[in-house]
Parts: sequence; structure tokens; C-alpha cells
Amino acid sequence: MSTLAGARGNIAARWDDRAPLVSLQGVSKAYANGTVALRNANFVAGQGEFISLVGPSGCGKSTILRIVAGLGPTSAGEVRVAGLPPEQARRERGDMAFVFQDATLLPWRTVRANVELPLQMRGVGKAERRQQTMEALGTVGLADVAREYPRQLSGGMKMRVSIARALVAKPSLMLMDEPFGALDEMARGRLNEELLRIVALAGWTVLFVTHNVFEAVFLSSRVLVMSARPGRIVADIPIELPYPRRAALRTSPEFNVVVSQVLASLQEA
Amino acid sequence: MSTATRSMEQGGHVDAGEAHIETVAESLIPVQSRGRKGLETWLPPLVALVALIGAWIGLIRLKNTPPVIAPSPGDIINATRDNWSDLFTALAVTAQDAFLGLLLSVVLGVALAVVMAQSKLLERAIFPYTTLAQTIPIFAIAPLIDNMVGGGHTAIVLVALIIAIFPIIANTALGLNSVENNQLNLFRMYNASRLQELLHLRLPFAIPYMLTGIRVSSGLAIIGAVVGQVLLGTGGPDGGGVGYELQYSAHTGDWGLLGAAAIFAAFLGIAVFIVLGALSNLALRKWHESAIAHEN
Repeated sequence: MSTLAGARGNIAARWDDRAPLVSLQGVSKAYANGTVALRNANFVAGQGEFISLVGPSGCGKSTILRIVAGLGPTSAGEVRVAGLPPEQARRERGDMAFVFQDATLLPWRTVRANVELPLQMRGVGKAERRQQTMEALGTVGLADVAREYPRQLSGGMKMRVSIARALVAKPSLMLMDEPFGALDEMARGRLNEELLRIVALAGWTVLFVTHNVFEAVFLSSRVLVMSARPGRIVADIPIELPYPRRAALRTSPEFNVVVSQVLASLQEA
Repeated sequence: MSTATRSMEQGGHVDAGEAHIETVAESLIPVQSRGRKGLETWLPPLVALVALIGAWIGLIRLKNTPPVIAPSPGDIINATRDNWSDLFTALAVTAQDAFLGLLLSVVLGVALAVVMAQSKLLERAIFPYTTLAQTIPIFAIAPLIDNMVGGGHTAIVLVALIIAIFPIIANTALGLNSVENNQLNLFRMYNASRLQELLHLRLPFAIPYMLTGIRVSSGLAIIGAVVGQVLLGTGGPDGGGVGYELQYSAHTGDWGLLGAAAIFAAFLGIAVFIVLGALSNLALRKWHESAIAHEN
């Protein structure tokens, strides 16, 4: 299991320790039009792991995230989140968050009101909402744009607001669907480093979808490689590079060895 | 600007940094630009209007048409001058009927759209009948309404409501259903109730659509009020509105007054349209593309 698991014992205590955080057994998904998006997916995610799903477009990576979030039904197989069916886990525990590919900010709300949303849905009082929101915005370094509207922000800033919104929800399980896919290389690199800092701080277990192998290796404690449609998980590669990881890691030989290993199994898929 | 004056200007503003920047920025904008822009906006329609009125006068002169057959612009101006206060009273009555009709159609239209947004089943059950408001011949049911509500302004307001409501229902329903899938997923992720989803996602998302519907409906409400007054109006010179003036002038063959009343109603429609447009821009200027000025 992950090298981080020990450091996150306090977070893990909120969950049933005997159950893995996420488990998929023989999960398949076919859409009404007959497209088979996912075939017989099996994996178990322990607490504190940072797992990336990589694979070609349309291989069912995002489908897995939506299934784990309880947003869509499976066609076959069993999914458990902390031992519960996903939708029940989401409703009863409320400590799952989802960061979408586009920042999905509400354009009529200010940055602050956007970040407040999860707390507002839970009926948290105004003063506490305000305080937690400003704290989360501070964590992503955007406290000074709290009163702006999303349209005034750059793509990278919007994504950071989206992450701040996930932060206030205080999730244990963080689902991220290609959050940095639309950003330029520089912004992506910076946000990768920032994300690792926040993950260590917040103690999230992360399922992260990307088709960028460098990003997957830099962030993850484990990489799941998927084949083209119908998607199957074809390789499960532990990334043994120690945390905390810094920008300099990207140019190190060890990093590039792991990247080539993942690339090779992607090619085979 | 000569080198000498430029250096003087720069020297003179050394202490007031901000003021200096403002001066330079302003000097970059061509001086006539604002005035010219106004002219470019107003001149073409003005020229078109003059040409139209000229053609109108020319045609009547050329064919020697008597005022009993068709009024000239002069006839209309004379009628306006002679009946100024009557026309204004009539316009105020029509404006009131139309406003109440519009207000009711906003309340009822949005409510119906919200109900339809609750399920596809409800939408399928209700929507076909909302198009009835569009297609039903108002001449046929106006007397019926008059009979049922006992006449007066209530019946006229209801006619305006029937004529005006459809664009509000259709636009609001479109807005409520155009919410992005991921926005819905976001709300589901945070276990939002249906009411929260409606109040914090669907309704705010639909506001620009709703405002467009209201703008379209504002003109229809005025037409509806006038039609109602023509069909049902027995209110006399004080309470009959523009519809009464039209009816009266048509019966007496006073085409000048007829034209004046029609133009008054048209101007009311234009004024309401402009005011609603400004209000809509004010409401959306913070976030919606339609109300944001872009510079490339």
C-alpha cells in the first residue's frame, strides 16, 4: 500500500478501517446506444492512495469516476465506497468531491459564492460558510479575487477555484476528471505541484483521470493503465518515487524510467 | 502635439501620477469619437424616417387622395395636437392594462415553466396546451372571457395575458432545461435537494432566457390590451384606452386620430422594449455574455 497511508491515520479513522475506500469488482458499463464503455474493471483503492487512470480517449476513465461518485449506474459488477454502494456513501457520508474537466463554476456567482456552494447545500450558517470559504481560497492562493466573477479569471485560476470548492466540502475521497487538461504546460506543472501540497494538507484519497503520462507519474502513488474501448484495466503500476515531490523530480532519471515504463504498457494496451 | 508641449505636460504632472495616466489615456481616444458614434447611431434611421414621410406626402399629393380615404402626416399631427390630452389618458389606460397583463403572464408563465421542468411527463402533459394561447383566435374567446369575469378591465387584462404568455413559458422552459450536465452532476455531488437545484441552478441559469421572453411579450401585451379594448372596451373616452380611440375614430372616419392613436400605442411598445432591454442589461452585466462589452 501507499507510503502515505501511515501519515494519514487521522483521516482514515473516519472510515470503516476494515473496508477498502473504493473497490470495483467485475464492473462493466454499457450505454443505452449499445456502446460498451467499460468491461470487467477490477481494482481496490486504499486510504491515502493517489491513483491515476490513464488511457486513450473514450477508454472509460471518466466512466469509472462517475460510477464511483454514484452519478451513474453500472451494467454489471459491484462497486463499494467505504463498504457502501456509492450513492448511499455519498448521501450518508457526504465526504466525496468531484472536480470536473471544465471548472464548472456558476457564472452568476462571485468566486466566493461559488466556493461556498457545498456548504450552502448542507445548510451551514453564513458566518461559518464565509470563514471556511476564505480559508479554502487562501489555500489555493486566490483570497484576493473572492469578489470577482469567474469570467474575469484565467483557466488556471478557475480550476483553482474549483479545487477550493472541493476543499470546503472536506472530502475524504477526491475524484478528479482531467482537471488540468485544458491548461498550458506551465500552468499544468504549477498546479500539479500545488495539488500535491493540498492533498498532503487535506489528507485526500484521490482518483485522478488524465491522458498525460508525465502528470500521472508525477502525482500518483499508483497508475492504472487502461486499454482503448471497450475499456479494461491492463496494468497496475506502483510509483515508488518518494513524496513530497518537487518540480525538479521531472528532470530526474528515476522519474523518466517510470514514465517510460508506463508509456510502454500504454503501447501494449 | 509638439515636442515642447508634450514635455511640458509630462513635467506638469510629475506629482500626480494617476492624474497623468488618465490624461494620457484620454488623449489616446479620438476627440470626435463619441459624437460621431451618436451620429452613426441616429442618422440612418432619421434619414429613413424623413424619406418615408416624404414618400407618403408625395404619394397623397400625386394621387390627390382626399383625407376621407387616407390621412397624410399633417392630418395625424393635427389630430395629435387637437386630442393630445385624450390620447394621453387613453395611453395611460392601455399601459396599465398591458402592464398588468404582462405581470400576470410573467408570474403564471414562469410558474408553468417551473412545473414543466419537474418532469418530462408533466412537460408532455402541459406544453401542447400552452401553445393554445398562441393559436386560439382571440376574437372567439374574448366575449366569453368578458362574460365570465363580468367585463371591465379584468377581461382586457386577461386578453393581454393570453396573447403575451407564450414566449415567457417557452423561453423560461428552454432556460430551465438548458443547464449543463456537469452543473447538474455538481449539485448531485453535494446532495442538493430538488428545491436547491431549482433555486440555485436552474432558475439563475434561466434568467437571461426569461428576460428575452419578457421583452418579446411586452410588445404582445400592449397589442393584447389594445385588441381587448377594441373587442370589449365600452369604457368610454376616459376608461377605454387606445382601443376605444381606434374604435371611435374608425366609426367616425377620423383617420388622422386613428393614425395618431396607433402611433401612440407603437411608441409605448418601443419605450417599454427599450426600458426592459436596459433593465435586462443591468441585471446581467456582471456575468452574462449578452450584456458584456468585449474589446478585441
